[in-house]
This record gives sequence, structure tokens and C-alpha cells, in this order.
Amino acid sequence: MEAPPVSVMPVTGGAVNMMEYLLQGSVYDQALESLLHRLRGLCDNMEPETFIDHELVYLLKGQQGNPFILRARRSLSHPTSPWHLRYLGQPEVGDKSRHALVRNCVDVAASHSLPEFLNEMGFRMDHEFVSNGHMFRKGAMKIVVSKLSRILVPGNTDNTERLSLSYLVELSVLAPAGQDNMSEDMRSFAEQLKPLVHLEKIDPSKQRH
Amino acid sequence: MQQREEKQLDAAVESLASRVAHVKNALHSFIYKLENEYERLTWPSVLDNFALLSGQLNSINKLLKNEKTPSFRNQVIIPLLLSPDRDEDLAKLTEQRVPVFSHEIVPDYLRTKPDPEVEEQEKQLSVEAARIGPEAAQKQIQTLNKLCSNLLEKLNNPRDDRDSESAAIRQNKPSFNPADTNALVGAVAFGKGLSKCRPPGPVAPGHPGQGPMMSGGPTLQQVTIGGGSNQQAGMGGPVAPQQQGQPGKMPSSIKTNIKSAHPYSR
Repeated sequence: MEAPPVSVMPVTGGAVNMMEYLLQGSVYDQALESLLHRLRGLCDNMEPETFIDHELVYLLKGQQGNPFILRARRSLSHPTSPWHLRYLGQPEVGDKSRHALVRNCVDVAASHSLPEFLNEMGFRMDHEFVSNGHMFRKGAMKIVVSKLSRILVPGNTDNTERLSLSYLVELSVLAPAGQDNMSEDMRSFAEQLKPLVHLEKIDPSKQRH
Repeated sequence: MQQREEKQLDAAVESLASRVAHVKNALHSFIYKLENEYERLTWPSVLDNFALLSGQLNSINKLLKNEKTPSFRNQVIIPLLLSPDRDEDLAKLTEQRVPVFSHEIVPDYLRTKPDPEVEEQEKQLSVEAARIGPEAAQKQIQTLNKLCSNLLEKLNNPRDDRDSESAAIRQNKPSFNPADTNALVGAVAFGKGLSKCRPPGPVAPGHPGQGPMMSGGPTLQQVTIGGGSNQQAGMGGPVAPQQQGQPGKMPSSIKTNIKSAHPYSR
């Protein structure tokens, strides 16, 4: 996997390189309630947080084969909050025994002119979806249970259609590069959610075909 | 010799008093919990309290059975002075439970034999036991032992059987589907099934799903077309050029594809 050229690399400006550790799974609608109860018991005691987000994925086609991808996300339940722009790198193929998917992650907040700005920069929106669900926290771990919906008319977030009869469950941690012990904690947390949902490391490139 | 026995007696009485104090404290906190926090009390915590009391009683028993403990049966307590007046020191010692060392409390606190009613019942039971005869008694003992061991076996062993049963039940109602997981991960990671360029297949009839047409340019969706995902059932080749053609023809082809590639028909 060749690295993109320097002109396309995200500018981190001396800040610590953050990595995202990720485990994913899914759960049927019928089992959602039990999963939420279990998470409420296992996670930090706070009001369960629900969210409705609209995510747009932008592509910048360079001369090389692989396009540069940026994800822009805005909250539909808090329309005045800033947009959230995220870059996710390729998953690190290091240790096969590492239990979670690790990839470079850069997050910034942006103003509401983000879509126009990205269009001016040359990015084209590839796809968008609406994700709504619940978020839980346990220490540094974030657990998101969300249902994804396809947007039928681009730009119209009211007219959506569910992608599948399951909810996506994601367990993620944002940590500076080099802290591999997080994956152990994530794995033991994932054990506690079995057999309701199996959280595992799913390589996205294997899902293409 | 006397002194050693006295010292032993003193030590035994002291340790007995401390263990009894532990039991008293445990009972006190348990009663408090039952009286004040009964709404929040769970059965496991009640069981914990009982287990604590039982452990403490066990340790008292062990202490009494200990060889170093002199036999308390040989000791006699004789009240030397009984008075109906309130005794402050005694009240302080017993935390206001025994304010007066009088004729009323002596039968209860200094009792060595069981209550008269209990004694009567015990006598009746021993008469009954003697009446049955040794063989019948032996048979009864054996039946009781067998029942107990059967029950113990049932409780201990088929944990494995029970587990396999519950595992079978669980398998009948899976709570997740790996195929769904893969589909969702694909959608989040690179928009499988989500592209603006409407793929034929999972489109609800009645939603034309027409947006601005793709004006060319490679997209992630087109990369997956070559892979032949099930959305492409019946429609090989790039989808974009067809959509740029007659939008009016789309509905009919979509309908046929729904029959063949509907994700909800499981």
C-alpha cells in the first residue's frame, strides 16, 4: 500500500499522532433492548446519549489509484453544532495478534461552510448516510450502537430508508500511537457483550467483494 | 495446674466473647438493612449476610471444640446478689439491654438447660426413636443418605447438561447476523450500497430515487461493480451509463431486480 504523496498528507502540525482502535459487530433489532440494558449496566453511569448524525464522505481523486477520503459529519439533533471532519488512514497491518483494528485518525471541527469548502478544494461527495442511535462511554472506550439509513434523495435527510435490519455496534478508543494495551481492555469488554453481539476486528478492504 | 487452667479459661472466654461480639455486629447491621433498606435489598445480598452469620457461628463452634478450650460445662455461674434496682455499670456494659440484674432476667440469661417445652419435645422424640427399633432406624438413615446424595449429584453434575441445553436454545435465537455485520461495515467504510449512483436492487417501489445524475468520474461504487456484489444481480457492467440514458425505464428494471436480490427476504 503506497503512501499518498506529501501534498495529500494531513497536516498534523506537531500534535500527537492519534490512532483509532476499532472493533465492530452488529445486533438484530429484537436484541437491541437487551444490548442497551447490558451496556447501561457495564458502562459509565450517565444519561444514555442518543444522536442523529448525517455523514458525508468526500473523495479527492489524485493521480494515483487510491482516492483520498475525508468524512464530514453533522448532527441533525443539534443543528447549530459545528461540523466534524475526520480522516481515517489505512488499517495498520502490524501484529496479527492485535485484537483491534488500528488506524491513524485525525479529527477537527469545522464550520457550516464545510461542504462548499470541500467542493471548492476539489473533493466530490461520494456517498452519504444518516446514522442514529445511542452512545455509551466506559473510561476511554466509546461504544456506539447505531442504525444506518440510506438517503434516497441527496440532500434530503428526512427521506431515509434503513440499510439493514441490524444495528451496527462499534467499540472504539482514540489513543496516541504506541499504546497497544488498549486492545486488551477492548477485548475483555467485548467478551462481556457475548453472546449478544460479537465484536471483532473486521478488515474493511475484505468487505469490498 | 490450677493457674494454667484458669489462664486457659480466661483466654477461651475472651476469644468467645470477641466472636460473639462479631456475630452481634453482623446481626445488628443485617437487621438495620432489613428494616431500613428493604426496598433496595437484593436476594444475593441477603444470602451474603446469612453466609456471614453462618461463618461466624462456625468459627464459634470450632473454638468451642478446640482442645485448648476447657470444658465450660464444668463451670458454674451462681448469682450472688439479685436486686430490683437499676445498676448503671451493668447497663453500660450491656449497652442498655440489661439495666437490672433481678429475679426476672436470671432464668433467661443464666439458663443451662433447654426450655421446659423444648425438653418435653426432646423427651418425646427420644421415646419415639427408641420405639422404632434399630433396624428400622438404620433403614431410614440409609434412605435419607441416598436421597441427599442423589440431590447433590443432580445439583453438581448436570451443570454441563444444562449448559448444552441452554446453548442449544441460544443457538435457536441468534441475536446477530454476521452477514449484516459485513454489510454494515462495508456501508460505513466505503459506502457499499449507499452510492449516489442508485444501484438497482434494494429500492422501495414508489421511491423513484432520482437525483442528479452522475456526471462521470470514477467512484467507489464503480470499483465494487466489477466484484459482482448481489446488488448487481441481473445487471452486469457499469451502472452509470445506463442511468444517464432513459430514467423512465428504470422502474421496471428495478422491480425485476427486487425479486431476485431483496435483502429482507430471509
